[in-house]
Amino acid sequence: MRNSLEPKPQRSAALLVVVLLILLAGLLQWVYFTHAATAPGAGLTALAQAELPRSGVTNPVTAVLLNYRALDTLLELSVLLTAMLGIWSLGPATPGYQQAGAVFAGLAAWVVPLLILSGGYLLWIGAKAPGGAFQAGALLAAAGVIQRLGGDPRASLPNESAQRWLAIAGIGIFALVGLATLVAGRGFLDYPLAWAGWLILLIETFATLTIATLLTAAYVGGQPPPSQTTATPGMHRMQAPDRKA
Amino acid sequence: MTDSLVLALVVPLAGALLVTALPAHAARIGLFSVMLNTLNIALLTLGVWQHDELQLALGDWAPPLGIGFVADGLSAAMLAMTALVSLAISVYAGDYFRDPARARHFWPLWLLLLTSLNGLFLAADLFNLYVNLELLGLSAAALGALGGQRTALEANLRYLLVGLLGSMTYLLGVALIYSGFSTLDFAQLAAQLARGDAAASGLLGATALGLMVMGLALKAALFPLHFWLPPAHGSAPAPVSAALSALVVKAAFYLILRLWLEVFAPLTTQGAANLLGLLGAGAVLWGSWQALRAERLKLLAAYSTVAQLGYLFLFFPILQGLPAGETRSNLFAAVTLMALAHGFAKSGLFLAAGFVQQQAGHDRIAELGTTLQQLPATTLTLALAGTALIGLPPSGSFVAKWLLLGGAMANGQWWWVLVLLAGTLLAVAYVFRLMTRAFGLEPTPRHFFTQARAEGPALLLAAMATGVLGVATAPLWHLLGTSGGLG
Repeated sequence: MRNSLEPKPQRSAALLVVVLLILLAGLLQWVYFTHAATAPGAGLTALAQAELPRSGVTNPVTAVLLNYRALDTLLELSVLLTAMLGIWSLGPATPGYQQAGAVFAGLAAWVVPLLILSGGYLLWIGAKAPGGAFQAGALLAAAGVIQRLGGDPRASLPNESAQRWLAIAGIGIFALVGLATLVAGRGFLDYPLAWAGWLILLIETFATLTIATLLTAAYVGGQPPPSQTTATPGMHRMQAPDRKA
Repeated sequence: MTDSLVLALVVPLAGALLVTALPAHAARIGLFSVMLNTLNIALLTLGVWQHDELQLALGDWAPPLGIGFVADGLSAAMLAMTALVSLAISVYAGDYFRDPARARHFWPLWLLLLTSLNGLFLAADLFNLYVNLELLGLSAAALGALGGQRTALEANLRYLLVGLLGSMTYLLGVALIYSGFSTLDFAQLAAQLARGDAAASGLLGATALGLMVMGLALKAALFPLHFWLPPAHGSAPAPVSAALSALVVKAAFYLILRLWLEVFAPLTTQGAANLLGLLGAGAVLWGSWQALRAERLKLLAAYSTVAQLGYLFLFFPILQGLPAGETRSNLFAAVTLMALAHGFAKSGLFLAAGFVQQQAGHDRIAELGTTLQQLPATTLTLALAGTALIGLPPSGSFVAKWLLLGGAMANGQWWWVLVLLAGTLLAVAYVFRLMTRAFGLEPTPRHFFTQARAEGPALLLAAMATGVLGVATAPLWHLLGTSGGLG
């Protein structure tokens, strides 16, 4: 009387899955083409464009993300936080790579400041052109990834306690702005028009820091090593033997 | 009054942020935010009680541009159940996760899970639901892996991937809906579908509904898509198992119910509902049979979840056949009651099982005799929860099954009654197989052992399922706007 919890996947089952997937893809294609040929939906682009003057920004994408559907964005940031907390719960990070050689270190010294600068630019320009917190945060996180590849076990992030505050800053400010508008007698995240642009910039600035921290921490891949891990010699033997010069 | 809709999201989220930033005080802040959430949900339920329905357009952007929140009787009932169950689980978890290292991982994820559950029960927007589903799936899988053993990691990695597949399938449906109808709002979508403008949009809507229900059925572990559930729920830490079985799968079921019966009602057919009912029947029989064969208590509970979810899907073909009216709204109240009763009973059962496992050091049913006899309160919990799982009076599931029986007979779909009878008999068998352990021939223990903080929450949950929900159904009927089932 054993429960077979782990049934072996069978060939016939795999074949069945493939057949079903092909049928599903066929159905979707058929529906899409019959539908697209007869009655394409208008979408909400026109409406989003028409309401732009009331949103505080002139880039429709930013208006959707930070104003019309700000709650989605607040929850998306929480999804990123959940991912990082889940990664941390699985154990400490691996020590990281050995210290980079002269060429990589030189490259990093060029690229990292450029990434930070472009991140700041994308954050600012997001109000009127493509850009914004997610793009800026991703660039900053790329800088962190380069630092980690170059041998920094913490990828330039501060100690664990500061990382925790950075990880919640964007979500916290977002929620606080929402609560402030609620207390002021408007709805949750219902910005007064005069302040909307600045409030969105405030939220986006902190969201950038949070996104960068969360993505970099996810790349580090575990709870940060305790402070004072200034490249002990033992660490160099752990990873990436193929990169040895 | 509508502030409580937003606070249902903000309170647990703020709690999650605080316990992330201040891990040293995780247990205290965590429990406090869950209490605050319970208080807020009580206010919200009161609001729905008085006004029948609470509505809110977030940021004052009316749909389709913005996101709408709606709390009706069904939402309020699910929210209230979630608040009470999560409060009991939180009290229990404070005792269970004594090791601060594990507590600081548990609390932020747990509060994020609660945030997403509240969001799911309130959102009236297909895409906002997707974001909540992502949050739910991610936090649930991370919580399930907190046990740390290899089997738990494996099972929950599979759970994560299955959940992602489900979300993606759901998202595909949402994309189709947006391309065809240019709105994601429930009310607007329902109005457009009711007008039935073109045959093509009906086909598009039906395909989208199929995709969304498929994705959600994967998340709700509807037979035969339940394969991931027993290992994931059976290997998680006890408070997490309780939350996964009682709340998380129930949220996916709630969405199917909402989409099927309200938003996409003009597109559903008897044949499709019969298919859902058939899968539910398979779940009842297969899940109960596996629960009967399970060697471990937590696996028994997990397979019983598969079976109990099956009962919920049996309601679909019968509801589909009924015209709008009193019988139908009574049956709708019955399916809600069934979901609530299972939520309370199963969380109680899992918490009790966790305590048994802690005391005995294992949860092999055949060897639990001595432990069960030493733990009178926990054994009572198991018995009460078992009563609700079988559906004996005075449990809430008895009332629900009775109404289901009546509905099936009135509708001429008597074959579902056979499934109901077979499932109930199997449930009797698996519950009694466990309970006989408490009355074995082992020598009577010299002294009994009780521990209020660990056993109290489970006992209250089980008593809620068996005592309160079955006897005092009137408030629920009022909340759902129906006259009462047993008249």
